[in-house]
Amino acid sequence: MMNEIVTALLASVPFIGALLCLTVWSRPAHVKQTAIVMTMISLGATIALSPFLTVPPEGFLLLYLLPLAACVSILGQPTHETHRSAWVLTLVFLGLGVSILGSHGVLGKLALLVLFGLVIGLLFRHHSSLWPMSWWGIGVYGLGAAAAVTSAMTEPPISTIASLLACAVLLPLVPLHSGYFTALTRLPGNLPSFIVVLFPAVGLHGLVMLTPVLPNNVAVTIMGLAVIGALYGAVRALAQSRMRLLLAYSSLSLFSMLWWFAAAAGITTAWASVFVGAVSFGTSGLLLAWQAIRTRYGDDVDPQAVSGLASTMPRFAVLLSLTALAVMGLPPFGVFSGFMGLLLTSPVASPAALFAILLAWLATSWYILDAVQRLLFGQQRPDLPFTDLQQSEFAALLMVVLVVIALGVIPAGLLGPDSAPALTSAVTGLFAWNK
Amino acid sequence: MEQVTPSINIETRRMELRGIVQLAGEVIAQYWPMRTFVHHNPLHSLEYLPFEETVRRGKQFMGGNGYLPGDIYRGYVRAGRITVDHLDAALKQLAADAHVNIGLRRVAHDDVLRACLTDGLCAPIVEPLDAELFDPMDELIEQVAARLGSVLLFQDLGDRIRTIVEGDEAALGHWLTLSHWCDDTLGTQIVRQINEQMIKWCEAFLDEGHATWTMPGREKGLYLAWKALAAHEWSPCGIEDSGTKISRLPDHPEDALLESLDALGIPAELRQDYLSLQLTALPGWAGFIKWRAEERDYVWQKAYPVGLVKFLAIRLWYARELVQKACREELGIDGRYDAVIAYMRNNSEEHYLRRQRVAGRLPALYAEEVDRLGHQKDKTWGNLIERYRTEVVPRQEVAARRGAAKRLLGLARALGIDPTALAESAPADLNTILAWMDAFPESKHGPVWLHAFEAGYHTRLLGQMNRAVSQPVSEHSVLEPARPYSQSVYCIDVRSEPFRRHLESVGAHETYGFAGFFAAFIRYRAWGKEHDTEQFPVIMRAKNEVREIPRSYLDHVVSRHEIRARWIHAGHTLLHDLKENVVTPYVMVESLGWFYGLPIFGKTFIPALYCRWTAWLQRLMIPAIATTLTVAKLPPAETAEMLAAEQQAIVRKALQELIGLRSSRITPALVEGLRQRALNGDGDPEPFFLDAATQVGISTEDLDRLINSLQRQYDLNARSASRHKERITRTGFTLEEQVLTVDTALRMMGLTKRLARLVLFCGHGSTSENNPYESALDCGACGGNEGKPNARVLAIMANNPSVRERVVKNGIEIPSDTHFLAGQMDTTTDEVRLFDLEDVPSTHRADLARLQEDLKEASELTSQERCGRFPEIRGPLEGPQAESHVRRRSSDWSQIRPEWGLSGNTAFVVGRRELTKGLDLGGRVFLHSYDYREDPSNRLLEVLLTAPQVVAQWINMEHYFSAVDNEVYGSGSKIYHNVVGRIGIMSGPWSDLRLGLARQTVMNGEMPYHEPMRLLTVVEAPRSRIDKLIARHDVLQHYYHNEWVHLVALDPVDGVWYRYRPSGEWIPVNVDSAQVEHHT
Repeated sequence: MMNEIVTALLASVPFIGALLCLTVWSRPAHVKQTAIVMTMISLGATIALSPFLTVPPEGFLLLYLLPLAACVSILGQPTHETHRSAWVLTLVFLGLGVSILGSHGVLGKLALLVLFGLVIGLLFRHHSSLWPMSWWGIGVYGLGAAAAVTSAMTEPPISTIASLLACAVLLPLVPLHSGYFTALTRLPGNLPSFIVVLFPAVGLHGLVMLTPVLPNNVAVTIMGLAVIGALYGAVRALAQSRMRLLLAYSSLSLFSMLWWFAAAAGITTAWASVFVGAVSFGTSGLLLAWQAIRTRYGDDVDPQAVSGLASTMPRFAVLLSLTALAVMGLPPFGVFSGFMGLLLTSPVASPAALFAILLAWLATSWYILDAVQRLLFGQQRPDLPFTDLQQSEFAALLMVVLVVIALGVIPAGLLGPDSAPALTSAVTGLFAWNK
Repeated sequence: MEQVTPSINIETRRMELRGIVQLAGEVIAQYWPMRTFVHHNPLHSLEYLPFEETVRRGKQFMGGNGYLPGDIYRGYVRAGRITVDHLDAALKQLAADAHVNIGLRRVAHDDVLRACLTDGLCAPIVEPLDAELFDPMDELIEQVAARLGSVLLFQDLGDRIRTIVEGDEAALGHWLTLSHWCDDTLGTQIVRQINEQMIKWCEAFLDEGHATWTMPGREKGLYLAWKALAAHEWSPCGIEDSGTKISRLPDHPEDALLESLDALGIPAELRQDYLSLQLTALPGWAGFIKWRAEERDYVWQKAYPVGLVKFLAIRLWYARELVQKACREELGIDGRYDAVIAYMRNNSEEHYLRRQRVAGRLPALYAEEVDRLGHQKDKTWGNLIERYRTEVVPRQEVAARRGAAKRLLGLARALGIDPTALAESAPADLNTILAWMDAFPESKHGPVWLHAFEAGYHTRLLGQMNRAVSQPVSEHSVLEPARPYSQSVYCIDVRSEPFRRHLESVGAHETYGFAGFFAAFIRYRAWGKEHDTEQFPVIMRAKNEVREIPRSYLDHVVSRHEIRARWIHAGHTLLHDLKENVVTPYVMVESLGWFYGLPIFGKTFIPALYCRWTAWLQRLMIPAIATTLTVAKLPPAETAEMLAAEQQAIVRKALQELIGLRSSRITPALVEGLRQRALNGDGDPEPFFLDAATQVGISTEDLDRLINSLQRQYDLNARSASRHKERITRTGFTLEEQVLTVDTALRMMGLTKRLARLVLFCGHGSTSENNPYESALDCGACGGNEGKPNARVLAIMANNPSVRERVVKNGIEIPSDTHFLAGQMDTTTDEVRLFDLEDVPSTHRADLARLQEDLKEASELTSQERCGRFPEIRGPLEGPQAESHVRRRSSDWSQIRPEWGLSGNTAFVVGRRELTKGLDLGGRVFLHSYDYREDPSNRLLEVLLTAPQVVAQWINMEHYFSAVDNEVYGSGSKIYHNVVGRIGIMSGPWSDLRLGLARQTVMNGEMPYHEPMRLLTVVEAPRSRIDKLIARHDVLQHYYHNEWVHLVALDPVDGVWYRYRPSGEWIPVNVDSAQVEHHT
């Protein structure tokens, strides 16, 4: 009961923030400031009240990251009246996310349904006939919502499978990745850069509960889909020229790796939170960096039209490079630590599958680096004006870099209750043949 | 008859094609191998066109800019290097007498044009469709944009589409190849793919000893060698069944090229331009091939023939296959000129969208839709264009209005007008201003900037010279002694100017300027070297050969020296072979790798010390020996003796190698007998010869085989002996030739009387480490080599009593106590070395000591001055510090800029030293001594304007274009340079052969060190004489009428400075008021 009350209290902060934003609606700068302040209050409140919450298996990491991600995504957005609704919606999404991650009862389930409903509504609102894939996305979120309802109203094993489907919609897994793709490419303003953290976090939260009870054949199926997803995402990302699509495929590939490890191990450790947090935060950072380009060259600028930014926008170039290095999985960033944590705490079910996963992992370096290279180097267009990052954009990207570094160097003991033992047992398990 | 006609037709077509290719090759410049770097104009072949037109052609064919970016010129304005007065003068022709009113301010047309230049208001900025970046002027921008709404009209989308189609139609074949068109329309990478293939094949084929494993079959020529090898490649660039296709190509490259042109459907009238475009896609490699094809005697060309036709035959085969593939797969049409034109006309909307998509000008969703439609069979482009028309075009118009408003606000700021006045001005006035700005885009600024920039420099230089020449004559004559301490002659190179100035300042020395080959056109072989160097300007040819030989009294040392040199050479060869072998490097790295640490450490941390140490070690192992040059021709008897000695050495070698005879058993009779038999062929052998052979156990059959081998394998036969004899007779000069050379040189230098006791001919060279461009720092007049041999040759000739006697008879007063010295200045360290000092008479020791002392002092002062120009040196350096600094630079292998070289060159002064004496010309001026009074026939001036001036103009244009567009006309940053094939430089592992000079040679950070401006030639001579020369020589007409070179004359008849106009008239230059009539 205490847990539900505290969760409701935490969730109310962003909702109140959303209401406060409405009171200053006519002044975009104030709306933005209010939203940022409320996300920071939300973060403070979460840290302060988390001792009163039941510790979830994945730890509190994702709960802490949510308000931070919301703050960063709003901060990185230019102050413009067209973005007001996105800022308010960010707060609403944050409230829903906190409710889902904090609650173990009806509040969380209700919030999940609202979340699906809201995103479906938004996608419908921003549908374009030039992007027919939107319908698939809306359909997949509809399926997610139906699965969430089914899981709430039925008993295992149906509820388990329904929950799994809802998780696969949120933490994208082939073939249910269309919703995630549509959200990342079609949602307005800063929402994609927040959604990319929120949805996987919520998905992981659900997955943590499910992995121990998954039947073996389902786990094997998931592993198969995960390997396919990892390779498919990597291959499609290699062929993308659109930044948002590239990041969507890239994160699909990386999240598929998490699915593989989770299904192979039959348990989800706190390393999964580090991995998901780092991948989603890094991707959010790259989306923010892309947002900086869109701010300068229009909302639907073609990435091929912009290049040679290293000399003209040096601050942007440095932060973009660091964020890209993080997403590519280089140490000391969180993606590397998370991946290594998962690798060392999971049994190797199939060497061939592991090889495929590693291949997809290496491919990330290729396409991310290629995209960054295209932006930063190459011919500089003389007909484009160049303006380096403004203070708020710089702060947002800097925060992203600091967070992904922090996730990379965070001591294992702070991650969650079972991370260290799990790591130890896995490592000792590796050498069991020697005994 | 029926069989003959087709073959005649084919031959006619081939000849016609060769002619077209030759004309097509005009747009690319020849590229000399880097070991004899020759400064030249990269657009040299187009000098028959006006400068501005050539620059346009350069942009069209090579994509190079002919002027500096506007920002740099604006930097010059801020720094005062370009004044507003000069800018206004340059704008005079463009400005109309019109004005509009903005608020209370009257804004004239020239105000707007000037502001466009100085504030960069005409830069082609594309206003983003929905940019959200905050601008404090947003509100005002919107107001002004709204005001423009009624007057700013935009082209209808349909018209825009038509314009693009018409533009592409006009461009195709003229300045757009089908490959480029595919890349621009379909997003393919055909040009890159072809370039990669061509680089691969050119790199392998043109290698001159760099590659360990050479390309097989090169003796067949580029085309056939490629055909033989490429047929085995597996689907290069994705071309299906490439092996069969290549093997079916004709054996004649001309036929293959014609076949490809026919397959691409290129109309006959476009073929020349089309081939030019193909050549300019890789101007470096094509330029080198062009050079080699013209050098028929070049040893590598003789061995592995190459030419532009062969190059184009290969290139166009790839082009035709790839264009066909792209057009078929993407558009379902033939990859032919006519099919592409028809596609553009019939599918103009699709073409427009595709082009916009590839150029990155479509919003992302539209770009994706274009991609999607491009892959669909059932394509409905009409819907998309309609949507584009209703959704995107209005946004583009809004953005364009915002952009126009921003430009107007920028103009208001530049002119000091209250920006809010714009929001209240008449829209028509605003529109007029915008029209003025649009009519003066940044692409038209270059000529204006250049004229203003040059005018500033001309004003200063002519002002300086006018002041010098206006000084009372007595001032000099009183101070100068009757006979100077010494007279020295330096190369006209701009680097000589500071040294000459400083030498004149430290003592009563007179200096002269002359092209650094000192009128000695020689092919030279240094002692111990295996190859000749061509010591004359590349536009000339040599008749005489000169060799460096040890002095006769050193015979006993020579053999020891040779043995040691052979050992060192063998060691080098062994190390090289071990490094290049397939297996040995694995062992070598472990066993000898550490040994290389020593030079790495030394060169990196203690470069100067390491350099001294290695020089000492080299002297210890192979001590230097005194040498002289074979200046005089050998008498016939001596020639025969020399030839026989060389042939006997060959016979001895053959006996050792083929029969295995020890040298002690080889008798002179046997050697001579074999030599005679090899040279004279048939007939019965002499009995003494047979006896000698029998004594060493050689049978008659073995003798026949041996003689056969000598003739074939060792090239010892009558024909080669004749050739060899001819070469030996080319060595040296006859007495008449020597007299002519000395006489001409001294007259051209102006050294005809009052000669000092010591006269120094000082060539120049340079010293740098790890510098592929080191020959660019050497003497251009000596074909990119050091000038030392030429100086020595002239000094030896001038000291020859027989020559002097004849020269004196010709009217040149050479006192009996005058001794001619040879020297060389190291332009990196400023040190002057004198040669053949043992020939200096003992009576001249004191003069020599004084000269050496003053040269040392001048060298130190020059180093000090030069150090002030290096960007990393903050304050002035003391003499010894400066000396040590320049030495360190010359030995530092990480130094990207050992010296500035010829950067900064701007002018060429032909006249007496009095015009420039005492002036600090900043090391920017070529100085050639010339006294019109000594040249009544005008012959000397003719030579100066048609030879040294040409070299100066080449140097000037090389620097000009390398500075204005270093990526296209220069060679980019040295950081990425890699030597390829011992012929040139590539950027990274894979690029065109880089033309021109490195970025570090011409740029100082973001600003040019070499201020690019066209050469100013200043001649002190009567105008009538100059007019005659211009009328006689096309090259001079091209230079002055096409504005490649500015010509100013100081007419001694009236003492007035005149500028020569492109129209052929002379106008007086008012140098006193520091105004130069220019561009009016």
